[in-house]
Amino acid sequence: MFKPIIAIAKATVGEAIRRRVLLIILFVAVILLFVAPLLGVLSARQEKTVLTGFVLGIVQLSSAVIAITLTVYMLPNEVERRTIYTILSKPVQRYQFLVGKYLGAVAALALMMGLMACVTLLEFGIIQHDWPKGVELLQGISMFFVQMSLLASVAMCLSTFVAPLVNFFLSGGIYLIGTLGYAFFDSFNKNPNAPVYSKALAWFVSTILPNFASYNVQNKLINPEVQIQNPLQYSINAVVYGGFYIAIMLIAGMLIFDRKEV
Amino acid sequence: MAAAIETKKLTKSYKSKAHGMVDVVSDLDLHVEEGEIFGFLGPNGAGKTTTIKMLLSIIEQTSGEGYVLGHELGDVEVHKVISYVPERPYYYEYMTGMEILKFYGSLFGITDTARMDMLLEKVNLHRDKTKTISQFSKGMQQRIGLAQALLNDPKLLFLDEPTGGLDPIAHREIRDLILGFREEGRTVFISSHELSEVELICDRVAIINHGVIARQGKLTELLKGGRVELSVTGVDKGILSGMSIGDGNIHDTPGGILFDVPEEADINSIIDGVRANKGSVLSVVPRKKRLEDLFVETVTAK
Amino acid sequence: MAYKGKAKLRNTLLATGVVLAGMQAVWSSCFVYPRWSKDYSPVQTGRDLIAGSLSADQMLFALAGFRELIAGILWVRADSFFESGNYDAILPIIRLVTFLDPHQIDVYATGIWHIGYNFTDEEQRSDRRYLPAALALGAEGAHQNPTTYELYYETGWLWYHKIDDNYEKAVYWMAQADSKKDIMSSPARRNLLGRIYERNGEVEKALDHWYTLYDIAAAEYDKDTEHRNFELHQNKDTIEQNLDTMLVRMSQRGFFAAKEHRSLEGYDINPPFDVGFGMKVSVPSERVLRIQGNWNVLPVGTRIRCILRDKNFPNAIPGGALWDADLDVNFNPQRDKTYMMDQLFVRNQRFDKTIDMSRDPTMYPFISDDYVLEFYYNPRSAPQHIQDKFGWNGEGMTDSTAEDIRTDIRANTRCMFYSVELKKDQILLRNQYRTQQPVIKSKGFRETEEDYNQSKDRAQIPSLRGN
Repeated sequence: MFKPIIAIAKATVGEAIRRRVLLIILFVAVILLFVAPLLGVLSARQEKTVLTGFVLGIVQLSSAVIAITLTVYMLPNEVERRTIYTILSKPVQRYQFLVGKYLGAVAALALMMGLMACVTLLEFGIIQHDWPKGVELLQGISMFFVQMSLLASVAMCLSTFVAPLVNFFLSGGIYLIGTLGYAFFDSFNKNPNAPVYSKALAWFVSTILPNFASYNVQNKLINPEVQIQNPLQYSINAVVYGGFYIAIMLIAGMLIFDRKEV
Repeated sequence: MAAAIETKKLTKSYKSKAHGMVDVVSDLDLHVEEGEIFGFLGPNGAGKTTTIKMLLSIIEQTSGEGYVLGHELGDVEVHKVISYVPERPYYYEYMTGMEILKFYGSLFGITDTARMDMLLEKVNLHRDKTKTISQFSKGMQQRIGLAQALLNDPKLLFLDEPTGGLDPIAHREIRDLILGFREEGRTVFISSHELSEVELICDRVAIINHGVIARQGKLTELLKGGRVELSVTGVDKGILSGMSIGDGNIHDTPGGILFDVPEEADINSIIDGVRANKGSVLSVVPRKKRLEDLFVETVTAK
Repeated sequence: MAYKGKAKLRNTLLATGVVLAGMQAVWSSCFVYPRWSKDYSPVQTGRDLIAGSLSADQMLFALAGFRELIAGILWVRADSFFESGNYDAILPIIRLVTFLDPHQIDVYATGIWHIGYNFTDEEQRSDRRYLPAALALGAEGAHQNPTTYELYYETGWLWYHKIDDNYEKAVYWMAQADSKKDIMSSPARRNLLGRIYERNGEVEKALDHWYTLYDIAAAEYDKDTEHRNFELHQNKDTIEQNLDTMLVRMSQRGFFAAKEHRSLEGYDINPPFDVGFGMKVSVPSERVLRIQGNWNVLPVGTRIRCILRDKNFPNAIPGGALWDADLDVNFNPQRDKTYMMDQLFVRNQRFDKTIDMSRDPTMYPFISDDYVLEFYYNPRSAPQHIQDKFGWNGEGMTDSTAEDIRTDIRANTRCMFYSVELKKDQILLRNQYRTQQPVIKSKGFRETEEDYNQSKDRAQIPSLRGN
């Protein structure tokens, strides 16, 4: 049952790491990571704070673009190039194909984010002489990785019934709402004067949409003076949440993809 | 001989905004014997690919039923013993021929590299082992497609337009490979509109048009009904009209008179008749019925 | 497994999906969202998300995690507004920058100072309607950065120096600043808490604080065995001097005597001194007040607070307002309200000041019909040499007319407070006042040009050096 999934995932990784678009994004991100220290002058605050924020920002933004670009074309391309027929005419179930593709996407994402993480680590370790900070940033980047896996599952699910270009903006939009929108919902929750119906609506929407904001833990990394109780427990909770949501997205994807006329 | 493919009233309908439900394939009754090369013919858009997808359980039929090697449609188990080469296939470009075979092999759980080498040799790609697909010609891509299709030693092969877009030499290579399959005892189901190819290799054909099977049968039987043309001079058309020529026609041409008669007509008595009236026979040309004629006749029948 | 079997699998998957969806909702609501909201959310309690005036690309970048960078760029831009004096343009930038990066302490500190001090009228009277915003910003900044003393200190400073009336609040903030570890690196800043305790009438606490600081300074000084660090020496000396002065003052002002229930006869604050307050207000032209009056206190450093405000000014109290009643960072103050505060400087026992509000209609809109003109003197705000006579809490202060010494407007303090009501028509010289200039006098007002130095009421202000 797992052999075909693994084979498909491997092939997907092989293809993904050769896609020019992704490599260009990755290249730009790495270049930006290298010039990041120069941007420290833009702030009244100490340079390392800005550098940390900027580096995490680059990793997050480029990973998000990569995650979406990687997944939105995955299924449509297979259909267009008819490779899907050769694969589905083998003893491979559709759900295995979908899961294999998803795992391949996540593995490719891990490779690319791993590269960015290495650059970040080296940048802080060698250039800034602050290895502990570099290692600490890896924690933030691993949370981003879970975030991007979640994003990839959303894009994957959507790609079973939405055209790639639409999906690109749709997933991007969901990502924005899931990251920024949460602050918006939160502002309703924390505002004692907000009307009940708007609070209820905010709660409802935020319960349904994927909570990408959970993985934005850069606050602590950028501002070490911020006190947070038991961040490990929080991370575990957030990762478990991601697991639930990814499973839901994949199941929804399977159900739709299974019925799809390819 | 058992049936490799058997369908009963197999139908696939799609919802269309303009026309409501549209049958792409309608009440299809196919019968393919084991060990034969079966030609599945039809113009573009006739429903050939849809039918193959249904037979491969890639899409589900709207109604009717079908069996492939005794397995009901939808049963992926049968994929272990069948194979499919789609029209103008594309494989992961970054892979070499060997890697393609390994990839598809792993979908079956096949890891036998000796066998893969043997297959590469069989399709004449063993010298291009290190080339990636992106460096392959169309013919090579088609051949690697056939090689991957043979990985599981299939009993039944589905080939969709196997020679589409290839040059004559590539045509021939593919044709030879397909004929080899029959000798190995495999059933081959070819969907095509390249009639001359099909005519050369198929045992039986079905012609599908607008989703309906218009003809199905042995090629030799379907191609019965050729005609013979006799060209004569020196006789009067009126005298000849009394002769028995079945449903033949008589035309006046500048060079004399042209008889166009069915091949089963009594040619000798016509020649004797002409000679008896002091005319001379210029030529007797048998016109064998070709698949193309049958196809055009079938497709334009309505 | 043919299609019939697949339908079963689909149903199982669907059921699993629905169950998982429920579980994620519960998990998210119980174990992720509450902690995220508490520890990681950019939104603080009671605050709306403000997202105006960022361009789309800045917004996108900000959302993408470049908050600190954007905040930095914006703050650099604010610099040019400071230079050009475009103060109003700075406010939204401060709001945005602190929203984007709530750990930019400099921006909070600058913001508090800017809002508190930079908005003034033509005569450098500051616009007090902005005070609540400055305080709210300080409270927010401190809440966001609880590990550093800086924003507690800045907020405390605002209470102590700018508001200069409610020292209880100043103590509240400055004591918190003093409890932060990082204040240890700037001992001079800790001295301020001693002063503020004093201002708040908590003399013993002030004394304790000085002793604590002295012990630290002395220990630091001793640690430097070769005494090469002059700064340590100086610091120790300064604190020692402050401590000594404090003790002398406590003694002279009868603090110890009062504590031991001895007679206060002969101490500096006894007998109480007659401040002899009187005032006359007239309106020489539209939106211009001339305030004259008498006040017996010595010429140097005596200021009477004078307030003209809407009678229904929000949260107003006699002589001031509860500036932190609504802790809402609202950079748009109530522009339809008027609140003017000025100091009346006393020379030769008299004051005479013309307050021109005609050139700043935005700061003094005079929309409402009823106004209050207040005169307020809190001995706690007085300079030390005057306090030596009046005491920490106004024990040594009285007035022969008795109507203007009040113990009910500030807790445990005798203050001078006098107020009159004015009508909009009077200030704007409308209707019957068009021809007849309004003039209001208090009972204690003396129409005289008497020379202060000849006055028999001349205050005998004691001095530590003796007369």
